[in-house]
Amino acid sequence: MFQKAYNKRISIVLIVVIALFLLIIFKVGYIQLVDYKKLNGLATSLWSRNLPIEASRGLISDRNGVVLANNVTTTSLVIIPNQVENKEEVSKRLAEILGVSYDEMYKHVSKKTSIERVHPEGRRLSYEVADEISNLGFKGVYLVKESMRNYVYDKMLSHVLGYVGIDNQGLSGLELEYEEYLTGSEGAIKYFSDAKGSRLKLNEVYVQPQNGINIELTIDYDIQASVERELDNIVSKYNPNSALAIAMDPNTGEILAMSSRPNFSPSNYQDYTIEEINRNLPIWSTYEPGSTFKIITLSAALEEGVVDLLSEHFFDSGGVQVENARIKCWKAGGHGDQTFLQVVENSCNPGFVELGQRLGKEKLFSYIEKFGFGKKTGIDLNGEGTGILFKLDRVGPVELATTAFGQGVSVTPIQQITAVSAAINGGNLLKPYIVKRLVEPETGSIIKENKPTVVRRVLSTKTSEMVRFALESVVTNGTGRPAYIDGYRVGGKTGTAQKVNNGVYMVGNYIVSFIGFLPANNPKVVVYVAIDNPKGVTQYGGTVAAPVARTILQDAITALDIEKQEGSSEKKYQWNEIKIATVPNVIGMTKKEAISSLKGFTIEYSGSGDYVLEQSPSAGSRIFENGKVRVLLGNESGD
Amino acid sequence: MKKILQKPDIILTVAVIIISIFGILMIYSSSYVWAEYKFDDPFKYMKSQAMFFIIGVVLMYIVSRIPYELYRKYALVLLGSCMLLLILVIIPGIGTVRNGSRSWFGIGGFGIQPSEFTKLALIIFVAKYMSNYQKDIKTFKKGIVPILGITMLVFALIMLQPDFGTGVIIVMTIIALMYIGGVNMKFFIIAGIIGVLGAVGLIIIAPYRLKRIISFINPWEDPLGSGFQIIQSLYAIGPGGLLGMGIGESIQKHFYLPEPQTDFIFSIISEEFGFLGVAIVAGLLITIIYRGLKIAKNANDLFSKYIAFGITFGLAFQAILNLMVVVGLIPVTGVTLPFLSYGGSSLLITLVSIGILLNISRHTPNT
Repeated sequence: MFQKAYNKRISIVLIVVIALFLLIIFKVGYIQLVDYKKLNGLATSLWSRNLPIEASRGLISDRNGVVLANNVTTTSLVIIPNQVENKEEVSKRLAEILGVSYDEMYKHVSKKTSIERVHPEGRRLSYEVADEISNLGFKGVYLVKESMRNYVYDKMLSHVLGYVGIDNQGLSGLELEYEEYLTGSEGAIKYFSDAKGSRLKLNEVYVQPQNGINIELTIDYDIQASVERELDNIVSKYNPNSALAIAMDPNTGEILAMSSRPNFSPSNYQDYTIEEINRNLPIWSTYEPGSTFKIITLSAALEEGVVDLLSEHFFDSGGVQVENARIKCWKAGGHGDQTFLQVVENSCNPGFVELGQRLGKEKLFSYIEKFGFGKKTGIDLNGEGTGILFKLDRVGPVELATTAFGQGVSVTPIQQITAVSAAINGGNLLKPYIVKRLVEPETGSIIKENKPTVVRRVLSTKTSEMVRFALESVVTNGTGRPAYIDGYRVGGKTGTAQKVNNGVYMVGNYIVSFIGFLPANNPKVVVYVAIDNPKGVTQYGGTVAAPVARTILQDAITALDIEKQEGSSEKKYQWNEIKIATVPNVIGMTKKEAISSLKGFTIEYSGSGDYVLEQSPSAGSRIFENGKVRVLLGNESGD
Repeated sequence: MKKILQKPDIILTVAVIIISIFGILMIYSSSYVWAEYKFDDPFKYMKSQAMFFIIGVVLMYIVSRIPYELYRKYALVLLGSCMLLLILVIIPGIGTVRNGSRSWFGIGGFGIQPSEFTKLALIIFVAKYMSNYQKDIKTFKKGIVPILGITMLVFALIMLQPDFGTGVIIVMTIIALMYIGGVNMKFFIIAGIIGVLGAVGLIIIAPYRLKRIISFINPWEDPLGSGFQIIQSLYAIGPGGLLGMGIGESIQKHFYLPEPQTDFIFSIISEEFGFLGVAIVAGLLITIIYRGLKIAKNANDLFSKYIAFGITFGLAFQAILNLMVVVGLIPVTGVTLPFLSYGGSSLLITLVSIGILLNISRHTPNT
């Protein structure tokens, strides 16, 4: 048929057309089945708008779960300009409610952005204001929940905790240091919108915010509260330039409490200077430690075996000549003849110069370094100071002599308490720390945990035991008496350091300090208190700092549930020929009764009469056998 | 020459009616957002399309009963009047501008595009010419020159609007018709090569043209410019997946895809019905094309064979052009999808064309 050729060509066209259709179908299939994931993801992000939901910042709590920093939920205003229908009306009403000018509000409402916040007037709204806004029922005006940092005990532990800014970002202290853990990740309400920004009637997707990691500190709330209270008392009593206190577990290096004055209120950080906020004095400040440093000299001398505390005597004439310098004892006229234990008890400077000289500069300085001075302790806080030591080649006889009793070296409080912990805990220098662990809030799983770290061994167990004994004796018989706690064996050392200004020691301006621990036979807590220039009081560590340390130690007894130490513990101290005995109560007894009760002690009388009105040391004190007990006599029995 | 007429091609009829009704539904689904926004009447486009569909079906029925021989008689008149309309439409004040082209006669809110009618008139005219000069058609002088001459004249008039898409469809349809008629294709192959070289020359002169042209390959190079429509189309097709988001559930029609009821209606169909819907729509189109070409094959005479082929090929070419744009195989050309895209006069003329096909089918044995 003549049409055959035509029809053949039509068939060819048909085949080409069908082939093209197959190509198109293939391409659609490729887009919809192979490229699906990619395109769907891109399209979804094109279609969806996020209303952010802030994550709650991680909690910071003490070792027993007492929350120190948590969050309160507030409401903030969010505007989605594309959804606002009557921009003038909305601007007007919002401006009225928030107290912003109309023009400024109009700028917010008509801004070319997907989500607009009114900052800061629209943030952290009160319930009433939020309610008023939500009652307007404007489209495109949203109220979103925001969480705001709340410092439960206001100024407590402020330097350690730090503070956060308006956007909940950590700006100092642990808040800054652990920012990445504390923040968590933002959640959102995803809703679908058309290209003009209006909301589509599709299900919104809720993306849960991931709350921040919780931080558990080694701090004990009760001890910390005690420290804060005592520091406040010091400030109101003595108006010092500054004051600080640290409590530490000498066996682990855990910080139980830490604070200083001046401090600040993290919620009102704007009211303070940057120095007040950033200077965490217990780790930042450096100064001459004074007599508390004698513990180091004592430890070195005992470890090196250059002194026998009990049998060796030292005569203090009130000063000692070292090259061209005459080093005076703090006590005018000197302490006269003493055993070296009494040198320690009396904090006798010439006695310690003697110890320093016996050690020699190499040995003494090697111990100072072994105890961690001149180097950061490595505590997990920002802003730690280093302190300053003499360079060994610059140390002459004078420098050696002054260093031995704590002058001419510069140390930080944290170095001081860490070193003393090593001296009394059996000889291990520990790395102090304040963050116990990081805990995931949902599952409770531990993300990071700090464990006690022994930096090095400094003393033998035996020497450490001896140091404890000597320091207990300081409290029982010596300069540390104001720290004495009945029934608990307190050890400690006072310190009164002259301050240096432009290379010259200042007159009548001291840093008074006390470092104390208990129980002396098995220390559970060590407390360091330092007060810079207390006014209106004799500036001695024993009179100002020791009573404060005593109160903190007493609170620590309750907080840590430390048992009263009974007589059995005395046996531990029966080394050499020395025996320790507990002083009985003789108050109210007749003179005769008292004499028989105090058998084994040397009695020193004052006053006259037949009855004992007062005794010293008080009942329960443990002193050397044959030690001195003073009794005040009167004519009537005490009531 | 009285002859018992066959029944019209029932498969073609059913396919055309199903796809047109589906088109009306999809025009509603894809346009109600825009329609409500622009005219405060979500049914605006749907109502207009439905009205043209009803008129179109009536016309299709009437035309299917008009013996095609009648067109042989009036071929010149039809083409002449169409070309007159083409001249009128480009005169400002008479023709109205839509989407940058002066292609419309505005009649009471509706638009009539004379280029659509011209396409049909030209097919009829060329069909008549080629069937009359069957023997001379193979020569260059009597075959190619007059047909190509009149075609290029029509093309030039349409390009004055300008309406590149319709112009290309008309030219390609006539060239295909000449191929069926047995015209020596050497000329077109050479012309094609010259065309490609010319295009390459233009690109060398102004390289930005290349960038615009190949933006369909990687539309993300210029996501807010030349790649914009393709990206928005892909964002509709992609998320459709295998089964689609469900009827009415498209998100891209919410102002993301511009004018989704016209050129890019296939994107919305893909989004709402997924690959399955695409396969069904493609199946319907292939059925229509297959039946149309079958009618051409079975035609009793060359005149009706050419007309049937020309009409069917025009539809097929337009559909392929539209679909290839929508899926990103070729650059954006601005061609609508027959039966499915919104456009009253286009649907009307398509249905009238189908009417002619049906009439031809009645004169052929349905075997």
